[in-house]
Amino acid sequence: MSLQAPRQLLRRQLLQAGQKRVARAPYRCFSCSVRQTQQQQTPPKTPQDGPGTTHFGFETVAEALKEQKVGAVFSSVASSYDTMNDLMSLGIHRLWKDHFVRNLNPGRNPLTTPSSGEQGWNILDIAGGTGDIAFRMLDHASTINNDAHTRVTVADINPDMLAEGRKRALDTPYARSPRLKFVEANAEKLDMIADSSIDLYTVAFGIRNFTHKENAIREAFRVLKPGGVFACLEFSKVNNSVFDSFYKRWSFSAIPLIGQLVAGDRDSYQYLVESIERFPSQTEFRDMINDAGFLVPGQGWEDLTGGIAAIHKGVKPA
Amino acid sequence: MAPIRLANPAPVLGAFRASSRQAPRWNCMWRSYHSYDYNQPPPFPAAESAILSRAIEHVPGYGFTVDALKLGARDAGYLDASTNLLPRGVFDLVDYHLVMQRLALKDSVQFPDAEGGKKVGVGSKVRTLTLARLRANEPIIHRWQEALAIMAQPTYIPPSLAELARLADEIWFLAGDTSVDTSWYTKRATLSAIYSATEVFMTQDKSSNFKETEEFLDARLEDNMKLGKAVGGFAAWADFTAHSAVNVLRSKGMRI
Repeated sequence: MSLQAPRQLLRRQLLQAGQKRVARAPYRCFSCSVRQTQQQQTPPKTPQDGPGTTHFGFETVAEALKEQKVGAVFSSVASSYDTMNDLMSLGIHRLWKDHFVRNLNPGRNPLTTPSSGEQGWNILDIAGGTGDIAFRMLDHASTINNDAHTRVTVADINPDMLAEGRKRALDTPYARSPRLKFVEANAEKLDMIADSSIDLYTVAFGIRNFTHKENAIREAFRVLKPGGVFACLEFSKVNNSVFDSFYKRWSFSAIPLIGQLVAGDRDSYQYLVESIERFPSQTEFRDMINDAGFLVPGQGWEDLTGGIAAIHKGVKPA
Repeated sequence: MAPIRLANPAPVLGAFRASSRQAPRWNCMWRSYHSYDYNQPPPFPAAESAILSRAIEHVPGYGFTVDALKLGARDAGYLDASTNLLPRGVFDLVDYHLVMQRLALKDSVQFPDAEGGKKVGVGSKVRTLTLARLRANEPIIHRWQEALAIMAQPTYIPPSLAELARLADEIWFLAGDTSVDTSWYTKRATLSAIYSATEVFMTQDKSSNFKETEEFLDARLEDNMKLGKAVGGFAAWADFTAHSAVNVLRSKGMRI
């Protein structure tokens, strides 16, 4: 029974998709979407790209609409978020997130800390609704640095993602501890967070969806203590052109298809791959962080898996 | 005229990459050659330098570890988290020590032009400089094996070897070597080998004032001289033999 239900659902979705297809151009599985990709890969630089509009994938929408549309996307994918991430990235997103957290090395080891002064780090995890990064941070602080004081505030604009995170927190030791807090907030206006109060600001696979990335980075600069770190894990540009062509094929044809079959939502995943395409390259994003006043370590970013994702960091000058 | 030297931070090939890697403000200060007319740019940016210089003070107590870095960051008025400013973590601390000690060499060792009318040879200058560089490891010698272990990690082997090459180049340059033939390469290669061997020997040296390290270095330099003489002698012999063989054949009427 329990096995049959998803299979029926799948069949119904395929059927619906098939019916939809009849109305449109003849559908030829991969080849069709590949052609679509090639047509769309250079996103139209539309003249009506005025000040009041922004990008929603390859579409140009009014700024006021983007937040709402992104909200709809994430509300619709919240429940199948983890399964979908595993399928789309072949599980590699877990390695990226582990590396991201291990590299930041959160937590203050009490053995090497003078007993006076503040204990633990104050971490703000933006767009971290499902708690992926937050739980890893707390685990790392407790088990690697023996730090039982580091706190994480998870902020997300989407209540559905936060609900998913709260649900998942119940399986961790942090569910009812003061170390983990969930807040519904817009990253461009973090009014509830005081100036210079945060040690580490993280945003993993979130900044891509912000309407005004510059504002969000400026807001990060405001809430961070002097010496605090802005760290961003985000999809980026693949460096190798051969690998890039395979990657594009995978992302533009397979990912929307997986989204359709597993999450029953093709459009959300079409948006996902388009928004990845639209996101600035490593150097552009590094310069954006630099322009906000951050010091950039080394070259400013670290490529993961040939540049599919990249970790960007900035340190607020002390 | 100033002899041409190895580029300080970027070899010719690296210069292309450096343009994309470095923030633009550094670009205008990078030169792929050495010149007395321009000041060399500081080896590390200000914030990194502040953290690392304080962190290096904690190395005798905490070793080349993240703890030393964090304590250094705190001393410099930064947070624990600020150590993320150093993308290579503890290797940046090791690198800082290597670079700063290499650059300190030109100020710590001075050669008077003529010592009582007797000129100091290039060989003894090289020995003095190498010893001075080894002595700079003294305060942290009990922790130096940690640094060697970090440098031996696969990712960090190329930058460590590059730094070794720069040190050998610095020593030969300060000793006043002006060779422009293939010995330019062999001199630097042999000095690199001798220096690294002596450095490893020094980590195990328990003698007072590192006397045994000094003896070890002298023995290696002597070996090198003997080997150099042998190679040079063999080359002269081969050259002479080949020429006389040709001449003998010519005297027999062969048209060569």
